[in-house]
Amino acid sequence: MQNNLILWLLFTPMISSVVVYVVGRFLAPNDTEKPNKTVWLCVAGIAATFVPFILSSINILNGKSVTTTIGDITLVFDGISMLVSLTVLILGLAVILFSVDYMAAEHSEEKFYGLLMILITSIIGLSTSTDLFNIYIWFELMAVSTYSLVAFYRNRATSLEAGIKYLTQSAAGSIFIILGIAMIFGTTGKISMQDIPALIASSKRIMIAAGACFITGYGIKCAFVPMHFWLPDAHSQAPSGVSAMLSGIVIETGLIALLRSLSALNPAAASFGIIFLLIGALNMLIGNLGALRQSEVKRMFAFSSISHMGYIALGIGFFLTFQESTASADGVFFHIFNHAMMKGLAFLAAGAIVFNLKQAKGDHSPLMVKDLDGISQKYPWYALLLSIAVLALGGLPPLAGFISKWQIFAGGALSKNPWAMFLIVFAGINSVLSLGYYAPLVNRMYRHQPSQTVLAGISKCSATMLASLILLGIFVVLLGLFPMLISNYTGSASSALLNMFR
Amino acid sequence: MTAILIALIILFPWFGAVIIWLMKDEQEKLTHILAMSFSAFSAVLSLVLLTRIGQDQISAYSLGIGMGDLAFSADALGIILTCIANCIGCLAVVFSKDYMNGEKDLQRYYSMILLFIGAMSGLVLTSNAMLIFFFWEITALCSYQLISFYNDDPKAVRGGLKALFITQFGGIGLLLGSLLIFSQTGSLDIQHFIAAAQAGEISSAALAVAGFGLIAAAAAKSSQFPFFTWLPDAMEAPTPVSALIHAATMVNAGVYLLCRFAPAFQGVAGWNTTVLWVGIITILLSSVMAIFANDLKRVLAYSTVSQLGFLFAAIGAGSVTASQFHLLSHAIFKALLFLCAGAVIHSVGTRDMRLMGNLYKKMKPVAICFIIGACSLAGIPIFNGFWSKELILEAIHSGAPLSVYILMLFAVILTAIYSIRCVWMVFFGKEKSELHVHEPGRFMKYSLYVLAAGTVVSWLTFGGFSNAFSKSLPHHEIEAESLGKFLSTIIKDPLTYLAIFMVILGIVLWIFHKPGPSKAVLPKVLETCAVNSFGFEIINEKIIDKIQNLSEFSRELQSGILNWNIFGVLTGLVLILIVLGIGG
Amino acid sequence: MSYIIVICILGLLGIGFYCLLITRNLLKLVVALQVLVKGAMLAILFAGCLVDNMEVAQSMALTIIVADTIVAVIGLAMAIQVRQITNTSNIRSISTLRK
Repeated sequence: MQNNLILWLLFTPMISSVVVYVVGRFLAPNDTEKPNKTVWLCVAGIAATFVPFILSSINILNGKSVTTTIGDITLVFDGISMLVSLTVLILGLAVILFSVDYMAAEHSEEKFYGLLMILITSIIGLSTSTDLFNIYIWFELMAVSTYSLVAFYRNRATSLEAGIKYLTQSAAGSIFIILGIAMIFGTTGKISMQDIPALIASSKRIMIAAGACFITGYGIKCAFVPMHFWLPDAHSQAPSGVSAMLSGIVIETGLIALLRSLSALNPAAASFGIIFLLIGALNMLIGNLGALRQSEVKRMFAFSSISHMGYIALGIGFFLTFQESTASADGVFFHIFNHAMMKGLAFLAAGAIVFNLKQAKGDHSPLMVKDLDGISQKYPWYALLLSIAVLALGGLPPLAGFISKWQIFAGGALSKNPWAMFLIVFAGINSVLSLGYYAPLVNRMYRHQPSQTVLAGISKCSATMLASLILLGIFVVLLGLFPMLISNYTGSASSALLNMFR
Repeated sequence: MTAILIALIILFPWFGAVIIWLMKDEQEKLTHILAMSFSAFSAVLSLVLLTRIGQDQISAYSLGIGMGDLAFSADALGIILTCIANCIGCLAVVFSKDYMNGEKDLQRYYSMILLFIGAMSGLVLTSNAMLIFFFWEITALCSYQLISFYNDDPKAVRGGLKALFITQFGGIGLLLGSLLIFSQTGSLDIQHFIAAAQAGEISSAALAVAGFGLIAAAAAKSSQFPFFTWLPDAMEAPTPVSALIHAATMVNAGVYLLCRFAPAFQGVAGWNTTVLWVGIITILLSSVMAIFANDLKRVLAYSTVSQLGFLFAAIGAGSVTASQFHLLSHAIFKALLFLCAGAVIHSVGTRDMRLMGNLYKKMKPVAICFIIGACSLAGIPIFNGFWSKELILEAIHSGAPLSVYILMLFAVILTAIYSIRCVWMVFFGKEKSELHVHEPGRFMKYSLYVLAAGTVVSWLTFGGFSNAFSKSLPHHEIEAESLGKFLSTIIKDPLTYLAIFMVILGIVLWIFHKPGPSKAVLPKVLETCAVNSFGFEIINEKIIDKIQNLSEFSRELQSGILNWNIFGVLTGLVLILIVLGIGG
Repeated sequence: MSYIIVICILGLLGIGFYCLLITRNLLKLVVALQVLVKGAMLAILFAGCLVDNMEVAQSMALTIIVADTIVAVIGLAMAIQVRQITNTSNIRSISTLRK
């Protein structure tokens, strides 16, 4: 059983994806009011995946290792896998619950849930792989499943436009990844991440070239700055559940894949660290400036995701460049989990609002900031949860975003380097700047005079949507007050990162 | 026992905040009663905590990597401020029962006030540098939400956002300071840091950066130069909020920060001088602005800024006791003044002093309380403001250059001028317009009477005050002084009478000035400068404009054309190769 | 011999990226992506040749063919759907999302 845990962890969602799709085709409802019953099979699939996950986590937290070897391929479930799987399972559950009513009106819901399950499988698989090419394959699977999800509304030109741009840029990125793998393979003959560092330490030029290819290739998926242009379009045009998944875990998984691949080049880790610091600074600035004057809510959140990837990149940069900054690694993983919860909550709350205000009546126009006026009068729970999400993203205590940002900064401060301090002040200024677009949303929501759109919206709030929002909201509030609840997971992930790089 | 008290003082108001949030608009009476009970109970707890002042350090579990322990210290500096926050909070909540009668969204109002009170107690009681920042930001959140309570009024929203941005921007100084504490000493414990700094174990560059960062944070939070433009605009908040947050508690957080860390930074060159001059410049600028302001709450706001300047100057001159004693007096009389102003505004319906006049006969109880507060503000003997201001003047005289003392005396004149102007324009003189005055509610009167009594007698606690400080703050090296010695020092000092003469001079100058527009140039120039906040408002607007332009410029990058996006990817690759090549 | 292969790889990558930078036709975009993939695959096989481990290289190349065929199929599907909705294959005509 020990050896098969990872296989169960990977096969359960994969099989449930096929089952969900096939059953969904048979059970497809004729009307557009009721959801496809197969969604509950989907929920069962996620619940079933939790079982091997919990068993594997118990093993990891007790210090035993969980590995599986199939032929030449080794899969290892370490601390990073545990954190990423936890995040994707919780966020996936929330998104599926949310989509019960949100996607009920679509005609091909079973494809949606099937693709979502494949997405979850690929993310868990990516986090467990140990050789360069295996990571690339899971990464491609993840990307392919998201292409169709982004362009899901296939009758709308804007949705297709976002999908095509995303597909082209992501596929171009994959080319770079393959080139990087080719370079490393051509120098060392190996593709397993443990074996390469010793063999490649002498070829500085190959390490730099391969590293640059990896950073560019995976960086497109992580929305690092010169390569981020697909993100605002894709995240704002996709259905809200998919936006939450994309912002919440898919771009972070790109970063995890990048880190795993760069660990094969770990003699050059310090130079990569400087790139991460620069990219972090640039991301924060461009993300915040881009979001400041947006009038569409989901586009604003998409730019905000770019800036949060900047914080995470900054944390990674501190960790790689300075020996003492191990606290940054804890902060990075905590922020990955937090960002999934907060951004997921933000997108899902915005999705719930747009569902009640527009989508349920057949209006597919996007949610504008001015539509949020006075929401608290009619939908108090949605207003409260969106406020919690948005204030948490701005880094205000007692919510979770504050704690993870603090940990990243604390790690950077430990280095005692004046450049690190300057970057921390820059990050602090960016946090204040981000409040410039988050805080006015809260003010608009608590007005007494609702906007016309709010008055015209339907009153009935879907129970499953509210449940998914509350699920994520609980994490955001609880982790802000009791951050030690997750320190086992982040500690385990950061020691795995430490093993990879030192 | 102390640990349980401290935990209750912070968590009980928060629990109350959650409960009140669940109330509905129809349950208004219940909401008021719940809020009053929660805040009254916390006030009682804080008074009980007074008996536990000592050198206790309470530490519970660790919060996580890089975050230190959940640690609190029960010393005089923290506990006295906790008492002020909770008791004045209770009185403000009682006042709100009548002031906010019939308003919508009271759950949000009381929840934020209770959240604020708990966070303020936590801020002053904690001995973990990260938790200071944690509670600091929570108070900023509550203050912003309460200023922009009337979300439909764009001026209120703008005031709230301005307060949020300016205090958060200053908060970066506190972030930097706390992180430097962490990196230089390896832990976030404040007492450990102060001991290490006094022993000279911390690199002077780091100490200097931390010191000036904390000055910036404190100046932003306490609305000092150059960050003083947010407090007057924060007056859009409901008046009990102005009394609690923007007079008695939150703005004192900056002063608290400097008092707490003062022993560590005595060795930093220019630290004391900077604090002193930030205080003096603020006092002079804001007093002038108070003389020319026409909105009743704005005058009180400028007055608060100026009195906080006195507190900063006292710290800069080296006397933490003087600063804290005047903080106690100021909290009481300023809250009194604001609540009286609230009663006047609620009864009369306007905030413009030019429309008021001759309200003394119609609102006698409120008028008398206001006059008591104004006398204390101006520094007229036997009220608490007089004694604590004399203590500060004495500290400045012994700890700062003579030129500074002379500027302070000039400030005393200005304070007297705007105080008498305010009292006269509202309560005496001719009635300027037809105003319908209705009687203030009895809850309003209760809070006013309690605060007025406090204004008259709070100075009697000086002996216990000084004793508590000296016993529980070993790093600050404070000498205890008894009440009798304190009184005799002040009464025997000739400079006291100089200060009293300045007050009388100010009052006389006002009474005999010619009303109407002045023909001389200087008052006109001063008036234009004062109305425009001496140019700082223009600086604020320019900064916002620049950021908006930068944002528009960066939006142009998102061209929407796929070919340019691919070009961006290739550019990224080239740039990364270049940086790696140079670095490697 | 190996120089010729390197030149071919660089040539394919160059043509592919040039096409991505210049073209406005959706179908040409997909073709350009395919050219790029062939170049990358050639690089993998060449690397396998250099270290004399052709089995791993060939299995990688086959997997890449499968992965990128799927990508091409989805891309073409999107292109055809755009053609059906807007009657044009010019990407500029559907590029409305900006700023």
